[in-house]
Amino acid sequence: MERDVRLFFQYKVMVIMRAIWFVSQIAFFGLIASRMVAVEDYFRYYVGGLSVMTLYSAAIFIGFDIYEEAEHGVFEYLLSLPVTRRQLVLGRSIGGGLRAFIYVAPLMCIALYVIGIANPLNFLIALFSLFLFAFGVSGMSITLAVAIKSSDRFDILMGVLDALIVRLSTAMYPLSFVKEANPLYGWIANFNPVTYAAELFRWGAGIESLISFDNPLLPLLGIVMFFGFFMFVGIVLYDKSIEGGGWR
Amino acid sequence: MAVKRHIVYILENDFRNFFRYKWWLVGLISMNLADLFIMAIVYNRMLNPEIIQQIKSYFNFFAPGLTVTGLFASAFMIGREVNMEKRREVHQYLLSLPMTRFELAFGRVLSGGLRGMMYMSPLLLTCFAFVGLPTLTQFFIILCVLFFLAMGISGLSIAIAVSTRSIDKFVTARGLVYYLLFFCSSVFYPFSLIEQLGREGKFPLFLVQFARINPLSNASDLIRSFLLGTPSFSPEMIISVLVFSVVFTGLAAFAYIKLIERA
Repeated sequence: MERDVRLFFQYKVMVIMRAIWFVSQIAFFGLIASRMVAVEDYFRYYVGGLSVMTLYSAAIFIGFDIYEEAEHGVFEYLLSLPVTRRQLVLGRSIGGGLRAFIYVAPLMCIALYVIGIANPLNFLIALFSLFLFAFGVSGMSITLAVAIKSSDRFDILMGVLDALIVRLSTAMYPLSFVKEANPLYGWIANFNPVTYAAELFRWGAGIESLISFDNPLLPLLGIVMFFGFFMFVGIVLYDKSIEGGGWR
Repeated sequence: MAVKRHIVYILENDFRNFFRYKWWLVGLISMNLADLFIMAIVYNRMLNPEIIQQIKSYFNFFAPGLTVTGLFASAFMIGREVNMEKRREVHQYLLSLPMTRFELAFGRVLSGGLRGMMYMSPLLLTCFAFVGLPTLTQFFIILCVLFFLAMGISGLSIAIAVSTRSIDKFVTARGLVYYLLFFCSSVFYPFSLIEQLGREGKFPLFLVQFARINPLSNASDLIRSFLLGTPSFSPEMIISVLVFSVVFTGLAAFAYIKLIERA
């Protein structure tokens, strides 16, 4: 985990770029789009969703590290370490989620400065769910990286998946409008982990008027299931693939 | 005649490189189309009545903006290659080729622009198919303006690529340029909203002015003026893109020659 977190901060450019993207999205897109739409308090709503979008993209990044390691023969070194395979794989998934969280924390502070916190207890629950979400996304990235085995294809798939998973969620707009626009979009958004994370973050911050779930336990349950599924599948796949040069 | 032939060689080489990333291009087009067919359709439902009166439909408003965004991203790709060539010292081989420095520099800027045009064409066709068809003259003007815009973007990208030593610095500079040009323009939202925020003191006036002269704003608004009728056509839209193109094509050619000779 420590190694993964350290490795992440070597990508200084990526970190700087995402931070610039985040701030410019708030200062330009958020501010102007809030004047364009007839949704009350849209600026705060959008800033909340933006934090989750950033967390998602940061957690995805662990998959790229796996390709780098395979290319440079670091896999073999990792396998020679005195840790079990399970510990290695679990450590990678948690490390991926943790570092995404560390990276997003200052940006989230900016977001919270803009939108405020109404109820600290709710916010702590939301924060816990975001941790699980980040680990789940990290597990998903590892699962896909191991299954695809080509960094180019992975890069393309992640881009397309990012575009679809974020746009078909409530990160940018309330669920009622997504459903109204297209029932299929609404159905997908209803089962999208990004939706769950964004809704819980807004619930934690106190922007409750536009939340689509009456009971916060439902999105929390959704995130727990997402986390459980990808941690399990990611661990099993990664565990099987790295043994005896199976990666290549 | 020889000048033409030399430039064609450069174009051929750059186009071959471009098609090496075909799956990447398919992915990029899919992402752009996701923006149009998901994001724009949902935003369509959320517009406030004043904006509906002004732009009618967000989908129609955004389609020309998306075309320009796609053109920008693909024309900018040439910079990454030029930066890589500089780092790997391939430029020394390029300088040894039997062609003048000007042919080499102009060929690179031109190929960046033409690649942008090629990538943008499915997005422009989608725009025509869903928003409406321009007249033949309007179509010709749109293509010319987009071509000049692509040349300017390619020039800007090459100028940044040759002035930065590492890929990190290039990527950071690219990000800054992307975000400033995309978000501070009328690509995503009508210019009237930026002006309104400027009047209210919530947006610095120099950024309002920047959004007004931004070539991405002007190119998107030009397509909108022909296809949607709003905003109304103004020759400034063409002049702004032409000035941007001439400045950056010239600057890029000059910087490319000077900096790769010095490196």
